Amino acid sequence: MPALALQHVNKFFGQGTSRVQVLNDVNFATQPGELSLVLGPSGSGKSTFLTIAGGIQTPTDGRVTVDGQALASMAAKDRDKLRLHQIGFILQAHNLVPYLTVRDQFALVDRVKPQGNLSPVALHQLLDELGIAPIVDQYPGNLSGGQSQRVAIARALYQDPAIILADEPTAALDSDRVKVVGRILQQLAQDHHKAVVVVTHDLRLREFADHVYQLMDGQLTLEA
Amino acid sequence: MFLALKEIRHEKLRYGLIIGMILLISYLVYVLSGLAYGLAQQNTQAIDSWQAQSVALDKDANVSLSQSLITADTADKMTLKRSQAYLGQAGVVAKASQRPNLSAQFLGLQPQQFISRNLTLTAGHKARNDRQIVADTAFQQQGYKLGDRVTLNSVDGKYTIVGFTKNAKLSVAPVVYGTLGAWRTLRGVTPAFKASAVVSQRAHQAVPSPLKTYSTQTFINKLPGYSAQNTTFTFMIGFLMIIAVVVIAVFLYILTMQKLPNYAVLRAQGIPSKFLVSTTLSQAFILVVGGLVLGALLTVATMRILPLGVPISFNLPLLAGVTGGILLTGILGALIPVKLILKVDPVTVIGG
Ligand SMILES: Nc1ncnc2c1ncn2[C@@H]1O[C@H](COP(=O)(O)OP(=O)(O)OP(=O)(O)O)[C@@H](O)[C@H]1O
Ligand SMILES: [Mg+2]
Repeated sequence: MPALALQHVNKFFGQGTSRVQVLNDVNFATQPGELSLVLGPSGSGKSTFLTIAGGIQTPTDGRVTVDGQALASMAAKDRDKLRLHQIGFILQAHNLVPYLTVRDQFALVDRVKPQGNLSPVALHQLLDELGIAPIVDQYPGNLSGGQSQRVAIARALYQDPAIILADEPTAALDSDRVKVVGRILQQLAQDHHKAVVVVTHDLRLREFADHVYQLMDGQLTLEA
Repeated sequence: MFLALKEIRHEKLRYGLIIGMILLISYLVYVLSGLAYGLAQQNTQAIDSWQAQSVALDKDANVSLSQSLITADTADKMTLKRSQAYLGQAGVVAKASQRPNLSAQFLGLQPQQFISRNLTLTAGHKARNDRQIVADTAFQQQGYKLGDRVTLNSVDGKYTIVGFTKNAKLSVAPVVYGTLGAWRTLRGVTPAFKASAVVSQRAHQAVPSPLKTYSTQTFINKLPGYSAQNTTFTFMIGFLMIIAVVVIAVFLYILTMQKLPNYAVLRAQGIPSKFLVSTTLSQAFILVVGGLVLGALLTVATMRILPLGVPISFNLPLLAGVTGGILLTGILGALIPVKLILKVDPVTVIGG
């Protein structure tokens, strides 16, 4: 059973003449242990695809399933729970809560989900790998774009989710950091058996992917 | 609590301003209600100190002590019990050399009756003849001393202050206690009149016509200006509370609006709206309690520096009522934007 699947998903925005189709009959499936990369130019619908996959947005029609369970059939509360426990979002606008230090961003997760998060040792190792261990007491306002992006990655991984959805996780990073993040995502898939989906226009991530898709004019195609 | 406190810590200026605003509102409400209560007390302190339950007055006196007279004939038809006492009232102006003139309420008492019996003095002794008086401590604050010889109205002869008593105010004027004989002189009536009223510690007293018994509460409500003052203050405090609700609600609303993008991020992470709502409510609680505590401290400080003559006083039910009212107000204000939080759409933060 795929960890995450989209079947015949369409997404329209707007009404009447301004109605646009952003996703056109998208089919997608990923298994635990796989890193899927979705490449596409700006405005091609990458974020829309990812947020529909993670249950933040609902498709106009089609089916999204997580572990075989259809998101549409779930109560809103259960979708929240699913996001909290099974899905880790790395958002494009790597939004961090501005009044929490890096350390407290993780402490907040402990408050709502006391169990199943990374151990302190594992968290420290992750922060070390991402090169953000020295800035744990800083507020997001004092971080560079790349630093806050890496904190956003760490925060998503801290919840130890089975599915990781990353939107442009390397946009603000230099090549060395891209490699670090690419390797972390790869390890999560290979060693920790997570299903990792990355949408990006960053071709540097290609080498880490098990499958590469192209998203063009709302249509998703698997590269041979 | 976690998010609420962290945010307040990080945004000190913003939250400081809001606490400051709640402080000012609660300060205003505290001081105003303290003044209202203080003034009300100055109307009734003397009556309260007797712990009387009822007052018998001439039935045509319109429940007014100063309009009521009891003739000796009527008085002869009564035998007063231990719980009853004659009271003679006259408005006086007190004068003494090198002392300011003071308007006061002269109250004539019969020695051995309960009002005189229960009178507690802070200095000196009770009046032993018609030329001796016991004055409220307000006289002391104005420089009057034991042994001062005082002229009352334009009556011939002097009266000597032989004692002071605390908390003796009637209709916002300090009370001067003396004898019924002195009262007759000051009121300008012959011995054909006995007193102005019969005060009783019991709710019921049997009195001959033309007297009528009123409960102390009725009597107090009919004190000149008393009800009007209380109504005025009640309305002022009421309006203030309503304005406080609106102001606090508007502030908390704006505050919540500004936080919605952050909340959207947290919602995307799967953090339940319940958690965010309780964060917002506990934050409002912290802000309002903080403002109230500081407002109360400022009120205490104000009471310390207010001149003695300004009537301000508090009692526990009053304080609890005002505090509870503002707290409730704040929580109500914080409840209004809860709908916004519940409607937060995480999609709004997915940057393109
Ligand atoms: N809520 C919305 N209402 C209307 N149109 C929308 C909405 N969200 C997205 N779109 C449109 O859908 C298209 C795809 O948007 P999306 O954010 O998915 O693109 P993207 O591939 O993530 O772009 P980028 O690489 O710039 O992040 C864009 O043309 C955008 O204007
Ligand atoms: Mg995007």
